Amino acid sequence: ATYTVQTSFNAGDFSTQYLTEHWLPKIAEMTGGRVEIALTPNGSVVPAKETPHAVGLGVIDGDWTSVNYFSGLEPAFAILGDLISGYDTPQQMAGFCENGPGEAVWQKALDEVSDGEAHLVGCAPYSREALPARVPIRTFDDLKGKKIRAPEGLASAVFQAAGASPVSIPFSEVYGALEKGIVDAADASAYVNNASTGLNDVARYPLYPGIHSMPSMQLSFNREKWEDLSEADRKALRDWFYMAMADLTRVVAEQDAALAAKDAAAGKVEVIDWAQADRDRLRDVARIEWEKFAAKGPLAKEALDANLAYMKQIGLLK
Amino acid sequence: MRRFFACCAAAMDRVSVFTGQACASLLFACIALSALEVVMRYGFDHPTSWSIEVTMALCATAWVLSVGYVTERNRHISITMLEILVGPKLWRRFRLIQILVSIGAVTGLILAIWSPAMRVIARPEYSGTALNSIQPSYLKVVLLAGCVLYVAQLFANLIRWFQGTEKEDGGGH
Amino acid sequence: MGIEIITILIVLGLLALMAIGIPLGVTTLTVSLVTAVLYFGERAGFFIVSANVTEVLHKYELIAVPFFVFMANVLERSGIAHTLFESMAILGGRFRGSVAVQTTVVAVVLAAMSGIMGGEIVMLGLIALPQMLRLGYDRKMSIGIICAAGALATLIPPSVVLIVYGLAAQVSITKLFAASAVPGLLLASLFIAYVLVRVRLNPSLAPIYDIPETGLPFVQRLRFLNGAILPAVLIMAVLGVIYSGVATVTEAAAIGAVGSLVVAAVRGELSWTMARDAMRRTALTVGSIIWLVLGAVSLIGIYNRIGGGDFLRGMLTSLDIAPIWVIVVMMAIVMVLGTFLEWIAILFITVPIFAPVVQDLGYDPVWFGVLFAMNIQIYYLSPPFGPACFFLKSVAPKDVELQEIFAAVMPFIALQAIGLLLVLAFPDIALWLPSLVE
Ligand code: NA
Ligand code: NA
Repeated sequence: ATYTVQTSFNAGDFSTQYLTEHWLPKIAEMTGGRVEIALTPNGSVVPAKETPHAVGLGVIDGDWTSVNYFSGLEPAFAILGDLISGYDTPQQMAGFCENGPGEAVWQKALDEVSDGEAHLVGCAPYSREALPARVPIRTFDDLKGKKIRAPEGLASAVFQAAGASPVSIPFSEVYGALEKGIVDAADASAYVNNASTGLNDVARYPLYPGIHSMPSMQLSFNREKWEDLSEADRKALRDWFYMAMADLTRVVAEQDAALAAKDAAAGKVEVIDWAQADRDRLRDVARIEWEKFAAKGPLAKEALDANLAYMKQIGLLK
Repeated sequence: MRRFFACCAAAMDRVSVFTGQACASLLFACIALSALEVVMRYGFDHPTSWSIEVTMALCATAWVLSVGYVTERNRHISITMLEILVGPKLWRRFRLIQILVSIGAVTGLILAIWSPAMRVIARPEYSGTALNSIQPSYLKVVLLAGCVLYVAQLFANLIRWFQGTEKEDGGGH
Repeated sequence: MGIEIITILIVLGLLALMAIGIPLGVTTLTVSLVTAVLYFGERAGFFIVSANVTEVLHKYELIAVPFFVFMANVLERSGIAHTLFESMAILGGRFRGSVAVQTTVVAVVLAAMSGIMGGEIVMLGLIALPQMLRLGYDRKMSIGIICAAGALATLIPPSVVLIVYGLAAQVSITKLFAASAVPGLLLASLFIAYVLVRVRLNPSLAPIYDIPETGLPFVQRLRFLNGAILPAVLIMAVLGVIYSGVATVTEAAAIGAVGSLVVAAVRGELSWTMARDAMRRTALTVGSIIWLVLGAVSLIGIYNRIGGGDFLRGMLTSLDIAPIWVIVVMMAIVMVLGTFLEWIAILFITVPIFAPVVQDLGYDPVWFGVLFAMNIQIYYLSPPFGPACFFLKSVAPKDVELQEIFAAVMPFIALQAIGLLLVLAFPDIALWLPSLVE
């Protein structure tokens, strides 16, 4: 059968095209044609933040969504969706879901926003966002006093705690604000995307690999439809999701790295890569903000505890 | 009985006009807030975190709650080409159908947004931004209020249709 | 039931409801509710409608619409158009057809301040039409030029049509505003050229109009430029702010709204009653627009979900013709819809389906947006549903019949079509300016 899955990637995005070309045929192959997925772009059926309910009601069969959209519905998703300055690599974060305690607590949060009608297939990030900056921010201490565009709640709190002053402006304003120095740095997107929107032309000191955001996505299925699948097909679907995300991560990272190296060599930008010590210091500051955020609800607390436990397990935290 | 209905319609008209004109003042406030934000951002280098969410909430309120006023003045955009073709008598029948279909559709919309609106009242939905306001919850509730106002005014128009006291078409183009 | 049949049923349902005069917002809402409930059942169907409808209120860019409408309402009540018209008369000098040319120039300046069409035609209809008729200008030419030039309000930025297009097609409104400026001026030039050629061929169409000041040398006439100073400042404030990227389109619209009040105050025309009435009229206008948008968005969401978007896209892309002809087909569809539908309805029916195809074919959706806005120019004039003609009728002398107006605009529709074809053939006319802004 064909399952309609709405993604939070936009119609023209590289990710949408890459998944459609390389990975949608594969799931049909893996399940002998029993599971075919039709990926519909962001907002095509319902707005991104409504997908859990839409999945629950069977309006769409599944969603492949950046769960940051749900953080207003359930604070746990702010922590699960983008634990600011938490993991250093997308692989670590994916491990939290695939091999760690991630899926269990994630499913609980998903139950909360879908009335228990949506089943989590898997969860993983696909890129570490770069941070375009118009002034050099080379170390943790350089953050002090910098004006950084960060509209999301947790990102804003972490930057504030690190001594910067977060500014909330709409994304459409980021270019102008960086150009005119209204902000020194701006929460935006992956390196390649920032380059194509011209942000790196006006903000010539991009922090890459980034220091804050790593948005995570979920693949969920309508519970009934999920339960109708055979055990083998369910396993295939989950494996497929993690393979697809790992592949997408790899491709995006390769593109980012190649372009960053090229830009740096051409003298267009100075790419700043923080030392591990600075990343660790930011993580320590961020951790206090995570804790405050987790106080917003029992599930948020559970989500954070699961993350902390896994980070200790892999040696990111002591 | 006839007088009672006439009074109901007149009262509803007054409510709608009053709300609509109050909405006009809200739009004033929106303009002032947006202009102020530009001054704060570029004049004082000090953008606010609340301006956009507040402006949107105010504007949505004005936008949705002016519906009674719009309905009372018959200013909804419609195609009235047939009016000349079919003549005034048949068009009067069409007017009745217009009102009844509108009542049906907006009632349908009320049914559709009812449970989402009740849900956010029971369990508020926040914007998830630094401000983390309840703007998303508010917008759902205000839309529900707008729909109720819309239906109420449609019933007032229905009374006027039966009593032959309909107002002139506002020519809503 | 196949998507083909459902599509036909939906179209028939829409047409039937519209024909009996049911408000367009209610029409689309009814059809979407019925489709949703039949297809998904009550719970899921209601959910999909409510989710999409609520989302409309989260569109920040849409807030620019009431601001621009208010700005136009204030300007309409000030004497700014009148002063502008007089200044242009003196600056322009004496030549055959001068008043028609001057009307077009004033229309362009007004268009750069106003984002909606109605007010501008009313202003021109009140100021320029009586003047031209009094001077013995050909009636048809006078009426036609006012409708056509007045319609430029939504092609020359700012433009509410382009704002809503930008939202529906998900493209930058700033770029759209940059791209539509030159095509707008192109149309204005076509109108002027047409008038000049016709009065040259047939001088009886336009007697030469003489006012004493036009006898002065040009340099001395320049001091009559002051009527254009305030409009210039206001245009700079709004378009300058947008093009430089200092503020969002919404904020620029707010600046424009405040600016229009300042202009009215400077001219001594600002009063509490005037501002209040302008705001009430704004509430009425935008209060009816929002239901149109709500209904249209709801219908599109449902239609996409049942595979309609894919179906129509598939049909367009499977056409066995060169890509540019696909665009031509789209333009023809918009033109046909434009004879009887409201522009927002046309936009929401066509753009969500066309825009992805345009991109797939390798064209720039900004360019397509300009083509769309130019097509909307034709929609304003084309009978039987020609809003510009209705607006002019409402202020024209009693003896001007709607039929006469429709006949008068025909040559101008042809000019609009020529302009559209030029931009279609030479996309750089539109895309040149945005490439500079980049
Ligand atoms: Na304009
Ligand atoms: Na038309």
